[in-house]
Amino acid sequence: MRRVSKITAACAVTAALALTATACGESSTGDSGSDNGDIKVGMAYDVGGRGDNSFNDSAARGLDKAKAELGVETKELTAKTGETPADREQRLSSLAEGGFNPVIGVGFAYKDAIDKVAAKYPKTTFGLVDSVSEAKNVDSIVFTEEQGSYLAGVAAALKSKDGKIGFIGGVDTPLIKKFAAGFQQGVKDTKPAASVTIQYLSTGTDFSGFGAPDKGKAAAKGMLDKGIDVIYAAAGGSGAGSIEAVAGKPGTWAIGVDSDQAKDPALSKYAGSILTSVVKNVDTGVYELVKSVKDGKPMTGTHTYSLAENGVSLTTTGGHVADIQAQLDAAKKKIVDGQIKVATTL
Amino acid sequence: MKKFDKERVLLAIAAPVLAIVAAFLITALVLAATGKEPFSAFGIMFDYGVKSDSQVYIINKATTYYLAGIAVAIGFRMNLFNIGVDGQYRLAAFFAAAVGGALTLPGIIQIPLIIVTAMIVGAMWAGVAGLLKTTRGVSEVVSTIMLNFIATAIIGYLLQPGRLGHLDAAGTKVATTPLPESSHFFEFPTTPTPIYGFVVVAAIAGIGYWFTLSRTRFGFDLRTVGQSETAASASGVNVKKMVVTSMLISGGMAGLIGMPTLLNDSYEFGGDFPVGIGFTGIAIALLGRNHPIGIALAAILWAFLERGGQQLEFENYDREIVGVMQGVIVLCVVIAYEVVRRYGVKRQQRQVGEKLAAQARSNDTTEVSA
Amino acid sequence: MAHRVFFATDSACVPALSSHAPCLGECVIKASSTSSPNAVELRGITKRFPGVVANHDIDITVRRGTVHALVGENGAGKSTLMKILYGMQKPDEGTITVDGEQVTFNSPGDAIVRGVGMVHQHFMLADNLTVLENVVLGSEKLYGIGDKARAKIKEISDAYGLGVRPDVLVEDLGVADRQRVEILKVLYRGARTLILDEPTAVLVPQEVDALFDNLRELKAEGLTVIFISHKLGEVLSVADEITVIRRGTTVGTADPKQTTTKQLAELMVGAELPSPETRESTVTDVPMLTVQDLSLSAVDPDGVVRAVLSGISFTIHKGEVLGIAGVEGNGQSELVDTIMGMRTADGGVVTLDGADISAAPTRKRREDGIGCIPEDRHRHGLLLEAPLWENRILGHVTEKPNSKGAILDLKAARRDTERIVREYDVRTPGIDVTAASLSGGNQQKLIVGREMSHDPKLLIAAHPTRGVDVGAQAQIWDQIREARREGLAVLLISADLDELIGLSDTLRVMYRGRLVADADPATITPEQLGSAMTGAAAGHLEHDESPESPAGAEGTDGPEDEAR
Repeated sequence: MRRVSKITAACAVTAALALTATACGESSTGDSGSDNGDIKVGMAYDVGGRGDNSFNDSAARGLDKAKAELGVETKELTAKTGETPADREQRLSSLAEGGFNPVIGVGFAYKDAIDKVAAKYPKTTFGLVDSVSEAKNVDSIVFTEEQGSYLAGVAAALKSKDGKIGFIGGVDTPLIKKFAAGFQQGVKDTKPAASVTIQYLSTGTDFSGFGAPDKGKAAAKGMLDKGIDVIYAAAGGSGAGSIEAVAGKPGTWAIGVDSDQAKDPALSKYAGSILTSVVKNVDTGVYELVKSVKDGKPMTGTHTYSLAENGVSLTTTGGHVADIQAQLDAAKKKIVDGQIKVATTL
Repeated sequence: MKKFDKERVLLAIAAPVLAIVAAFLITALVLAATGKEPFSAFGIMFDYGVKSDSQVYIINKATTYYLAGIAVAIGFRMNLFNIGVDGQYRLAAFFAAAVGGALTLPGIIQIPLIIVTAMIVGAMWAGVAGLLKTTRGVSEVVSTIMLNFIATAIIGYLLQPGRLGHLDAAGTKVATTPLPESSHFFEFPTTPTPIYGFVVVAAIAGIGYWFTLSRTRFGFDLRTVGQSETAASASGVNVKKMVVTSMLISGGMAGLIGMPTLLNDSYEFGGDFPVGIGFTGIAIALLGRNHPIGIALAAILWAFLERGGQQLEFENYDREIVGVMQGVIVLCVVIAYEVVRRYGVKRQQRQVGEKLAAQARSNDTTEVSA
Repeated sequence: MAHRVFFATDSACVPALSSHAPCLGECVIKASSTSSPNAVELRGITKRFPGVVANHDIDITVRRGTVHALVGENGAGKSTLMKILYGMQKPDEGTITVDGEQVTFNSPGDAIVRGVGMVHQHFMLADNLTVLENVVLGSEKLYGIGDKARAKIKEISDAYGLGVRPDVLVEDLGVADRQRVEILKVLYRGARTLILDEPTAVLVPQEVDALFDNLRELKAEGLTVIFISHKLGEVLSVADEITVIRRGTTVGTADPKQTTTKQLAELMVGAELPSPETRESTVTDVPMLTVQDLSLSAVDPDGVVRAVLSGISFTIHKGEVLGIAGVEGNGQSELVDTIMGMRTADGGVVTLDGADISAAPTRKRREDGIGCIPEDRHRHGLLLEAPLWENRILGHVTEKPNSKGAILDLKAARRDTERIVREYDVRTPGIDVTAASLSGGNQQKLIVGREMSHDPKLLIAAHPTRGVDVGAQAQIWDQIREARREGLAVLLISADLDELIGLSDTLRVMYRGRLVADADPATITPEQLGSAMTGAAAGHLEHDESPESPAGAEGTDGPEDEAR
């Protein structure tokens, strides 16, 4: 009896497998939704999604702007931790299949997925933020984080009393290292004797450093204790902790990242300690892509949002950098003119 | 005798069915509480989950989950809580990807080489916990959690440009050298996406697990240790050796977890390689009651829920609802099994008692002089 | 006496032992104490309980101020009955009356409130706490945890001659002292009726006498004692009344003054008694197991290394049963573990059938022909959650019929399990039930059957009939005798002196990890053996006493008169 039931079970499972292997039945991607003129924008966020106070939110702002000004329909999906490339592919496919155009993948993790999906849906325009795809129906939206960070380095070097400057990176990814490299170069070019202490909150595939304000706070405190008086945190949500720590010690400065953190509702109380923020205008990239599709002239190819076109910039909220604005402008001009080449790796 | 067994089968099925029904009811309440209509949500999940491309997706996902469940289950059968499956498979996949990327051999040699590398790395990593337990008495729960962190740190250190990693063209993603075309595992050409050939390896692993545990001396010894360490050592099993051996096997199996992704999907280990599947494996082993077929069903259910969950998000439901559902299912299963198990034990004791009473009555007079 | 006077003057509800605390349940005891002369009455108690002998139609009347003995075979249902009386289990039918009032106990707490307390066979004391702390633990509300409690403990200890010192750590106490602490604990909580479950099982004869003095003291103070035992000599010496339980029901009462142990034993067993005796010798001069100068040390929980076995040497020949006597905890379990290879000896040589097995792992030793009936069958002999046929494989997984090479032979193993169940009379509905659902005796029969099925050269039998019903006991003895006739060597360890004397060809006494004395079972008495077990005697016991008092002549104390 027992054996028989086991065999039956085994047979049932095998049969089920065989059945699915032939992929019988209807496919969810059977009917291709043809668009009826209305623009439907599909957004696939990276882990954290809307509300991460950082990178994803910046993209979301661009989407919101497009919605308000262009009247487009939107759909937002978010990645989960533990996803495989196949999961991301699936997400983009379902958006493309649902007639969404453009479909935007936020974050470099979508690169491989977009390469594959873009080939399958040649009529759909895809957006890829922070990475570059070779496919011809993809608009690769990349930023010169190193340039913005260079300016932050210039500001930090000028504002620091004895040239001890800190950089807190969320995770030691290449992207964050771009921030670090530009920042360090900006400091060194301005004040060769100054030192930059670089610290990452987590490493490798452990992305917790992007969402741990407590770690950010602890790291910043450690730096402050060593006499560092300007700290630039490119650490996503963890940056808030760093800013809080800096605000606790008068005479020290924090530099924000991604959006104008002095205007962030949660951080505005520390605005007096936020020297400036390196803004990465993902929203601009997103908005421009949507608009181009709306206008019937979809953007493709690589679009680098650099300092020249204000793709990255420094904020002036609070006027803390008013006294050094001239030096900043000079540095900016040199970068734009190509006199200064900012390194992207340390 | 037949009837006896039929009831047992019924009992065995009762628990998971009870658990899943309860889980769906609770999830329905949660959905209702958030102001959504629950049954249409289940409808969406089901309709979408049985589509042909969903079936492919579910099988591919379940392949990974099944291996994770088996890896954890080996520990469970030994009464070892190998939380470190997560670190083991990541480290294993990382080194396997590095080895695979560095060589260009014919697939028939290179693919087995990659798989064996992964199994050895996973086994060694788990073996550290086994050795710590037997030589220093360190609980494997603590040591494997710590080893997860260390694995993360090792990967973080080595997955850097200039070490074992390479930066992509955009300078934003770092990954190991991609495997050569020859190292891509075969696929079943289904449309629109293929089924991973690694499902075959997973099936073989499942059969091997079942056969080893229930049909071999080694498996018997392993289960004995899991049920009673004292009885095992009295029966002649070297418990310490068994702890290390089973950790090695569990880790070796964990090494396979990353393989479907590596050999059938990503072909490289990058910053976006899936993390946390070891923990999913714990839930799946619990759900499948460490039984090879149970784990398969649990893995399929899990993949189905994730597939359905994607569609729920698409239909403007909160994306967290599937997580709630998965958590509730695991809880319900654990509770339902315990309830059914207790009922089963009581029922069996009653049967034995009845039998004894009947015998005692029939030979009350004769037996005394025995 | 002081509190009695106090009690008489205060006719309100203040019981003798808790003169300050307000009370609820105990008031009832006092209020009704004058109306009924009986402390406890059990009427028609029936308990259907899976796997063990059920209680049915139990009737017992316990008069106040007496020691009432409850006797019966192991497994007759005494312990279950007492658990019912103490509120640990609820009867399916029947009534419990305490001091004339019918009561229902849902928990031991209810029983305590009614003045019924229990001293368990296994002590429930925390070793690392003092006596005072152990006593007040859980009853802090009665007299606090300070001086008041200490005074109360002193008062109780003095009143009943218990001699308990409140500030000593329990771990420093001997078994007998611990037992007195348990008794005091129960009295402290206001018990007027004490249930003692097999209190003498852990004591040597001298300590038993001291315990009985304490019981007489309690009785003199008006307390009631219910005394559970299967040792008839002890029962006759201390009890005022005896109730006999057989197969779960009361079969009669006896007056100890007019009853002999033999009559009592026959009442208990219901027929002629089985006897452990083996008189015709089968001992050969071929050594089977030789243990030479074995020593073992262990680290105790406090981190102190101490010797648990030292200088152990003995030889067991083919066809010989070597019995080892000793109070439990003197190294017997460690000796078994070391011979089985579960512990590694510090020194010494173990030779089995001419081969040195000192370095062999347990599995090798088992394959070489050592069978073992472990002391604790639940921990060492069975997989409780596994079916019987898997339990049949346990310990012999490498041997036929259980496996062929590395692969299990399930069919053969199951078939052989059926055979064991049949031949060894294991009462079970089938071989797929779990071991846990069998009664203790049937579990033991399965173990004996399993160990005997591999033609052992040496059988280690540790307490082979402990917790086993009388039928199974006789069967197990028969099996040991049978195997011995066929040339098996047996190492027998038992706390049951009658079993030891009856079955053994040679006797050795173990005390503090050493074999301190030896004796000839044909001439030794349990008393002589008992005194050697306390370390009071050493050397060859026969020389000292046996010429004057051969055991056979002593009549009532001989093993054939005890209930085994």
